[in-house]
Amino acid sequence: MTGSLAQLRTLVEKDLRIEARSRQTLGLIIVLGILIIVVLGLGLGAQNNIPGYYATAVLWVAYLFAGVLCFEKTMAVERVDGVLSALLMAPIDRGVIYLAKLLSNLALMLAVALVVTPAGMLFFGFDLSAAPGAFVTVIGLSLIGFAAVGTLFSALVSSSRLQGGLLAMMIFPITLPLVITSTQLLIGAFRDGTPIVSTGLGVLAAFDVIFLTTSWLVFEWVLEP
Amino acid sequence: MPRKSVQLQLKVVMSAVANKLRDLSLVDNAAVVELAALSKSIDDRPILQNISFSLQPGEYLSLLGANGAGKSTLLKMLATLIPPSSGSISLFGQNASANSANLRARIGLIGHQPMLYGELTAQENLIFFAKLYGVANPSAKATELLQKVGLGHRAKDRVKGFSRGMTQRVAIARALLHDPELILADEPFAGLDEGSSRIVENMLSELNQQGRTIILVNHAIERTLQLSKRTIVLKSGQILADEPSSRLSASRIIEEISQP
Repeated sequence: MTGSLAQLRTLVEKDLRIEARSRQTLGLIIVLGILIIVVLGLGLGAQNNIPGYYATAVLWVAYLFAGVLCFEKTMAVERVDGVLSALLMAPIDRGVIYLAKLLSNLALMLAVALVVTPAGMLFFGFDLSAAPGAFVTVIGLSLIGFAAVGTLFSALVSSSRLQGGLLAMMIFPITLPLVITSTQLLIGAFRDGTPIVSTGLGVLAAFDVIFLTTSWLVFEWVLEP
Repeated sequence: MPRKSVQLQLKVVMSAVANKLRDLSLVDNAAVVELAALSKSIDDRPILQNISFSLQPGEYLSLLGANGAGKSTLLKMLATLIPPSSGSISLFGQNASANSANLRARIGLIGHQPMLYGELTAQENLIFFAKLYGVANPSAKATELLQKVGLGHRAKDRVKGFSRGMTQRVAIARALLHDPELILADEPFAGLDEGSSRIVENMLSELNQQGRTIILVNHAIERTLQLSKRTIVLKSGQILADEPSSRLSASRIIEEISQP
């Protein structure tokens, strides 16, 4: 167990170090996220026509597209120069590789959320102070589930030439329940003051548990050298 | 039932029994590699058919054949990265399918791709892989190996700035981090100039002289015959020849593997 934890730390450190040096993923996904907010903000005429709390749905659009790009990029690092074969040759549980990639993706998605969310608040006049705890809990749980699915499928399609479109086509339908539940919970919390502790929150938690466990178990078979 | 088929089935059964006994440590077999009736198909297309051979410690074997003969697939199966469709692979006396994780720790893989992270320095790459292998004092081991491959002075430079020859030397250092007993080299000279090829060739020969078993896949037939002691020639996924390299002639091999 200690060995696996040390390996997990080594893998995550490596991912973050490479990202810190190349800045290939983070810069790109933050710009994409902000662009989506700006385009949708301008297109919807947000401040005049729709209530601020609908920004949660717009934020999800930004998270989804930024996420797909993030998952693709972090997995692509392992495909360059055949480094994945060397990784697979190491005496390391494939589940640990999955968890490491998931944590790296979550760290990058958190960074995106920290930049894109204030942009959404600004453009849509979304007052986050009404229920900040609810927002952090719901978005946090949702992003974990989204990253769990995205990390698994990005490994699956990483050897395919159709990567971009294929990954989005695979993970968007799967994460649909997550997006719908999360948006409904947040709109309820911000519009009506409805507590988020409900069946909806249970759905998000169940989604996380199911996809984290399944992905961890099947990752061995989706990761091809 | 045809005699050949009975022989083949007997061979598979015998091999399975031998593997089981080895797994139970009831017999001691010194073979580093033992393949019995190994076959691999991808999308119903046979890539390798009925491959059987064994390799003793310290042997230097080269695998030759035309493109698509199955050399790299065979190497990937020996590295336990892909499973066979049928037949068995025994490495160090253990069934490769059942003990792949443990066996990988005894194998070093060198490819035509460097298998290194370009954004990390040479030293960071080696430390990273050393940690994954649980090598004691990864930093010291990385420094020692970089000195050995003549790149101690470039330890803190990012690999993406290295020439192909330098990158390949770091790749060899990576493959040696955990002191593997078996080294699988898949076209390690691809893209190297004459000088760099010589350096890598010498490094492989040195490793062999130290007692490590080497399997080399290469396209330069004449050169490979000079390097290795034994050669297996593959054609359409089957063994065409398995002989001491000194007994084979490059021109004959080229002629044989070129024929449809």
